[in-house]
This record gives sequence, C-alpha cells and structure tokens, in this order.
Amino acid sequence: MESVVERKFAVEIIYNGITKKVEVDGEEQVAAVLQKAIAEFHITQNSHLLSLYRQDGSLVPENESVERAGIKPREVLLLRPNAVKGGNGLLKLASGVLQETFRMLRVCGRGECECAVYWMGPSDSDLVNGVDHPLHQRSAFGYEVNDRWLTDLWNRLASSRRSIKAQVHTHPGEAFHSATDDTWPIVAQEGFISIVIPDFATGQVSLKNTWIGRLREDGRWHRLGSPEQAICRV
Amino acid sequence: MNALEQLGRTILLCRDYSSDTVSDAQICQRFQSVRVLCAADKLNLSSRSGQTCLTTMVALLSRMGMQVSLAIPETSMIQQQLPFVGPLLRSSLLASSNRFIAGATVQQDDSRHKPDLIFVLGDSGIEDSSSPTWRLSGQEWCGRITQETTHAPSWASDWPIGAMVSAALAAGEAFKYVMRCLPLRNHEDHIFFEPSVASNWDFGSIGIREGELDLGEVDIVSAGAITQATLYALLRVPALRMRGRVFDDDVTAATNLNRNMLSVVSDVGSKKALLVASRCSPNFKFTPMHQRFSIEESRVQELAPYVLVGVDDIPSRWQVQRCASGVLIVSGTSHFSISSSCHVPGAPCSGCQHPVDDLGGPTAIPTISFISFWAGLAMAVRFIRHAVGAPYLVGRQHLWLTPLRMDQPHAALWSPVVPIPNCPVGCLSSRRIST
Repeated sequence: MESVVERKFAVEIIYNGITKKVEVDGEEQVAAVLQKAIAEFHITQNSHLLSLYRQDGSLVPENESVERAGIKPREVLLLRPNAVKGGNGLLKLASGVLQETFRMLRVCGRGECECAVYWMGPSDSDLVNGVDHPLHQRSAFGYEVNDRWLTDLWNRLASSRRSIKAQVHTHPGEAFHSATDDTWPIVAQEGFISIVIPDFATGQVSLKNTWIGRLREDGRWHRLGSPEQAICRV
Repeated sequence: MNALEQLGRTILLCRDYSSDTVSDAQICQRFQSVRVLCAADKLNLSSRSGQTCLTTMVALLSRMGMQVSLAIPETSMIQQQLPFVGPLLRSSLLASSNRFIAGATVQQDDSRHKPDLIFVLGDSGIEDSSSPTWRLSGQEWCGRITQETTHAPSWASDWPIGAMVSAALAAGEAFKYVMRCLPLRNHEDHIFFEPSVASNWDFGSIGIREGELDLGEVDIVSAGAITQATLYALLRVPALRMRGRVFDDDVTAATNLNRNMLSVVSDVGSKKALLVASRCSPNFKFTPMHQRFSIEESRVQELAPYVLVGVDDIPSRWQVQRCASGVLIVSGTSHFSISSSCHVPGAPCSGCQHPVDDLGGPTAIPTISFISFWAGLAMAVRFIRHAVGAPYLVGRQHLWLTPLRMDQPHAALWSPVVPIPNCPVGCLSSRRIST
C-alpha cells in the first residue's frame, strides 16, 4: 500500500502566548506562511521584523518551501521578532574584496582626492564578490559619478543579475557621512550599506576605523557600531 | 514631573493594541483610575515569602500608576524589602505612596471605594469579594494565582522566588484589566488580554543548602530595569552575598520609574550605577562604574566569573561576550515578551542568540513594570542556579516568555541556543559549525 503524504496540513503558531492553527501547503514558501500568521494575529506594527522559530530555537528559513524546510503537520512554531531582519542580513565579503577596494581607492585617489567604489554581487544573495570603480570626477572635497557610466552600469546589472551591495568612498581626514552622502546614495533602498574610509584609504587595509551606516526605512542613515554588524568574511 | 511622563513607556506599550482614537492622557488616566485591593492576614505575612509577595505586588502595581489599598495588619518587617524602608511592613508600604509614580497612592483600605480588582495572599480571609478576586499562592520556586475558590495554602517559606512569581502574575492580570477597559485597534486582539482564571509558573525546584549563599564575584553591565529587577529579587534571598562592579553611564530618568525596581521619584537625575551600588549595600558590595563597559576596561581588569547583561544595545552584548571568560547571563524584553539566556564557554554565545543589531535606533522602547520584572527574575534564577551548581540543561538555554496569558500552554518556550555560522562574536561554537 502506498503511503500518502498530505500536502495540506495545519501547523500551530504561537504569538504573545496565544496559539492559532494555520493551514499550509507543502509547496508553499515559508515566507507565505509567515504572512498568513501575521495576518491571523492582525499584526500591523513592525511585522517585517517577525520570523518563525522552531521549538529547538532554530529559525525557519523563509526562502524554502514548507516541505524543504521540514515543517511537519501539527508542528508548533513561534512567531517572534528577529533582529536579523532588522539588519537585513550580513554582507558576505569574498576573499580579496577588501584588498581590491583599498587598492582602487589608493591608486585613483593618490592620497589627495576622494574616490568611490561599489561592492557588487549576485542579486539573489548577500555575497559581495566584485568591486566596480565608477568613472567619476574627483577632488579633495568630493567626487561625482559620470551619468553615462551610471546608465551603462544599470544595464549591465540587469543583464548579469547582479546588484550593488554597498558604496565605499574615501574622505580626506575623519570618516563620517556628510549631508551629501546622506542625500545621494547610489541605491536608496532600505538596508543599503554605505562605508566611508578615512585618510583617502592610505591607512591599514581594514574596516576598523571606517564609518559604516545602513539606510533605514524612513530614509535616514543608522550608523552601525562595528563592521561586524553589516559584514562578515567568507 | 508628572505621571504622563513617568508612564510614557507603559503608554507606548499599550499603543501596540490600543485604538488611535485614545490619547496618551486617556491611557494614563485609565491606569491611574484602577483601584486594587491587596489583602492578607497575619499568618500569611509572617514569612519572608508572604512579605515579599505583597511588597513586590504593590511595587509592580504602583509602577503602573494604579491606586493600591491595603487590608493587612501591621507587622514587623522580617527582612529589608527595598526600596520600601522602615521596620514595619504596612507603614513602609503606605509610605511608598507617590514614591514610584506621581499620583500612584498606597492607602489603608477604608471600604469607601469598591475595588476594581482584589488580590488575596494565600488562605487569608476576605470580607467582600464582589470584585474579580485572585488568590496568590506558591512555593519556593513556583507561584500561582487563581480565581477559583479552592483552598490556597498560606505563605510560609523563607525562599522568595515563588512569591515574586505570583506577584508578577497578579500584576499581569491588573494590566490586562486596564487593556480591557481601553478601545483596541482590532477587536480580536482582546484575546491577549482576557483574564486568567488560574495561572502558574514554575522555574524548577532545586535544593539550596541552609546558611550563607555566596555568589562570589559578578560584573553587571547596565544598571537599568532588567538588572534592577534581578538585584531586587536577589536582595530578598536569605543570606545571599556577592560583590563586583556595576557598569552604566546613564542617569535615572523620569521615564525609568515605570520599571526600575530599585528607583524612586527622588532618584531622578542620579547616576544609575551609583544608585544601584548604594541601594544594594551592605548585602552586596558593588563598585559603581559610571561608564559604559568597554573592551579597554576588560584589559585593565578581567571580567568576573559571572556577568549579568541587561543592556538593550546588542553590539554591547557582543562586546561583553567577547571579553567574558565565565558565565554570561543576558535578559531583555521585546514588547510583551522577555528573552533570557545563559552562555557558558564553549556553548552557543549571546552573539548566536542576538546575531545582528536592531536598527531601530535610539528610539523610546515600550516597557512596563511586570514584563521587565519577569526578565530580571529569570536572570536572578539562572544566576542562583549556576552559582549552586544546578544550571538549566542545554534545552533550557533560552527562555522566551510572554506573561500575558500565562494560563495558555505556550506562554513560555524553552529552547537551546542554536550556533550560527555568522556569529558576530565568532564564538567557538559557531566556528565549529563553520568548519
């Protein structure tokens, strides 16, 4: 006799101590289940920060189907805030990216001009595995990216399914985000990372003394306490 | 300084569910208009646990701005019940009127006003129970409240944890009463605020040897709501001693009074580290460090074998974890829930538990007395258990508790902490899975 695996079944989701049953389909994305749960509990505030957790403390991956995530009928899942989401995940920096970044900034800036590069990677992941150096005008007090180069870049990104993960630029002295930096990021999406390197990147090849910020939903920049809050090495 | 300002964070928490048509002043007024009668007889107040249960309940209710009346006999304080001061229990509770929140009075019951809610300790008798009434009972490590008329045992134990559990359960019921009086944004959200006919919580019983309990050296990072609740709880444990440092660069604000269990109105403006160290003296010998904890500090002097972290700032938790070589206990709150975890060398660390900074920025955090208290109490229990060699097993490394509907089977979830490959601390446990 063939065993039949039910495709549709119910799971129990807990929020604020209350348990509700939610119907799921094995092929459904966990992200969709999460949205159902959020709707079931009528959560309207900061719902984007919520995730589903198993009773063993592990996070249920949202980019998997219910079946692939291993969710079983009647399984109890906890709906609770996930700080990871607030941070939009960590950028995973491939080997050599940081060295290449400093090399480009130093060669172009020559210790006397500001310069910028963009960290690039596949659109569907947090991986950073390339550095793009834009055509730009430069001075000791700023840089301006060439419009035509920008248009070409967007075309290239679309065809290669890659995206800009972070902008990195130099300042003459101290690392900070200027009003211009605040207003004109190359990507104005929530979670975008901006890094400012002091002393025209002539110092140590490290993000230790840099300014690192993340763009918030309200368009303001949130300065991060350390590079580890935005970036990890792979 | 007024109650609206002092209850600002409590009002903010209510905003999670209250209708936008209600003003802050109306929410504040709703809390202040609640009358709670606390009743107990001499027998139930003749133990440390009974006195702790009553004082904790009064403190938690007052810090929500409520009006408390007492139907209790005068009796001697068996032990200090800070921040209540004085040799007599009833007198010191009455003297706390307006000391926690402006307008939150503690008065002797005169039967002129019908209470909205009644809380009765153990098997104490009560004349009138026409208002919703709960009996508070418990044992060393567990507490219970019930509306049922079944017999509740009297308070007799010296050990105070269960007493504080039942006080916190009672405070939760009082809070839900206020929420039921407010219009909610969504009618179905009433489910979170339904009264519990009976609820209980058990931290798990362990044996404690009689005599002095010396917890040794401890460093405390943050002297805010969580660690004040922890120290409030530990101060009530008989013959408990410890020493160490308290790090905090902040001063007490009016908005802290709704939850900082060792602080009173006159403390506003005072340095938190200094306040905590002086209030815990002479039982606990703390050196106040009016500064943020830094890695440099740990180079000057290594962190103590036990570190209690109550700081909200997640990167600060990572920093402490990087420097800690012993047991790290972290507690925090998130709206109506608490998170409490313990991290020993080699096990998944607090970076695995809280991997990325919350980017909300320095905005006002919604909090309320009894939620912060649960977080601190859970930390105190973990600390004691470790110190006496009976820590929770791995499956209870993390506690996620929502003390609203403690009558529900999933009000709390214990779980292990799962190591993550991108642990910001880079702990041993995370490195093992990365390789």
